[in-house]
Amino acid sequence: MEFFIAFINFGLALWLAWRGGPRPAVLVFFVGLAYSLALYLRHATDALPLSF
Amino acid sequence: MSPRQAVALNALALYAISAVLLLAFYWQLAYDELPCPLCLLQRVAFVALAVGPILTIRHGPSPHHLGLVVIAAVLGAVISSRQVLLHILPGDPGYGSTLLGLHFYSWAFLAFAGALIAAGIMLVFFPLKVGEGKPPATGLIEHAAVWLVMGLVALNALSVLLECGFSACPANPVQYQLLEG
Repeated sequence: MEFFIAFINFGLALWLAWRGGPRPAVLVFFVGLAYSLALYLRHATDALPLSF
Repeated sequence: MSPRQAVALNALALYAISAVLLLAFYWQLAYDELPCPLCLLQRVAFVALAVGPILTIRHGPSPHHLGLVVIAAVLGAVISSRQVLLHILPGDPGYGSTLLGLHFYSWAFLAFAGALIAAGIMLVFFPLKVGEGKPPATGLIEHAAVWLVMGLVALNALSVLLECGFSACPANPVQYQLLEG
């Protein structure tokens, strides 16, 4: 589910880049970036914050 | 570089991203190799890499769009280099199969490094002033590139939902959680 959300997030950013304006697309891009970084901390190792 | 050439180059970049995602999908389905969490994150970073080119195709070239490419490429390079380092010790067989002698995460690192270098070359040798970019005319090739990437994102979202279900993704996935019940 966590990666499903990531794909949907960046899919929305692509959609907004194509159909909406650059500003909402960039906003959603950075939300996705923060979420992806959290996923990275979760999965890169078991010794980082958010890992379990 | 004219806006028309920039748009054509960005459409080419979208086709390259689509080729990467299609190859990963082919390997997943043909060889039944389910992507691990870090592999999935690299796919996510490739999708993030497509935001800048689509903005350029839709709204015209701008250094802001190249900035998004740089950020996405750094994200992808960090993730793929982490996976390279996880398997760098001698004797470690690595994760998954190889393509031309390199694992897919090694190829991913090279691809993200290539995207960084390409964005740098664009910024240094073909500088654009802010506000110079105007929405250029786009054709079937550019539209097809955009819709191809979007379709692959939708397929990846569906695939990862089948693979991980509604819980956290396992570190070494061996079956589609949602299909196994």
